[in-house]
Amino acid sequence: MEPITGKALILAASAIGAGLAMIAGIGPGIGQGYAAGKGAEGVGRQPEAQGDIVRTMLLGAAVAETTGIYALVIALILLFANPLVGML
Amino acid sequence: MDSVRQLEFRLIKIMGVFDLVLVGIGLLFFKEPWAFIIGVVFGSAIAALNFLQLGNTLTRAVTLPPKQAQAYTTTQYFIRFLISGVVIALSIKAPYINVLGTVLGLVSIKFIILATHLFNDKTYYKNIFKRKEDESNGH
Repeated sequence: MEPITGKALILAASAIGAGLAMIAGIGPGIGQGYAAGKGAEGVGRQPEAQGDIVRTMLLGAAVAETTGIYALVIALILLFANPLVGML
Repeated sequence: MDSVRQLEFRLIKIMGVFDLVLVGIGLLFFKEPWAFIIGVVFGSAIAALNFLQLGNTLTRAVTLPPKQAQAYTTTQYFIRFLISGVVIALSIKAPYINVLGTVLGLVSIKFIILATHLFNDKTYYKNIFKRKEDESNGH
């Protein structure tokens, strides 16, 4: 059996790291869905406030969404442009 | 829903100004400014489209029953997430697009929202130094 090289180990660990980073991308999706559900309840209770509810939700959802993008950037850099491989 | 559209377009206009600032920074501090500029334009264009799509999603979601709204919004989020993923992967693979520029363009909407709706509010700064005990006592 061939010994595990340093590069192979780094690539394997990077793939695991990318997978773990992608977990952070799920959170904003669940959060946005929950907020939208509560927003729908709010509009049902007070239909005249629909504009205010959607505007507030839009700002909150847009800020939350960027958190997922950070996770995506980390995962994709680990997969496609891994800086650690060059350090060997 | 005109007010939602107005808000969207106002923020996208501010994003254009922010992009110009980023382009200026790119021209001054980067060895290959064109790659950075293309990245910023590419990233912010996709961010603007994602933001418009988010507005459309939420406008429709509030008219649905809560459970359906939750499922619909989550599905649409993952579609936008996929689009962002393709954009970032493309900018990593293409040598003529700077990744940093693309990422800055994609997340610029967050900085703009925070700058226009949170950090311009004086009560936000006042509340930082306000003691929590004071609020409960009603002072």
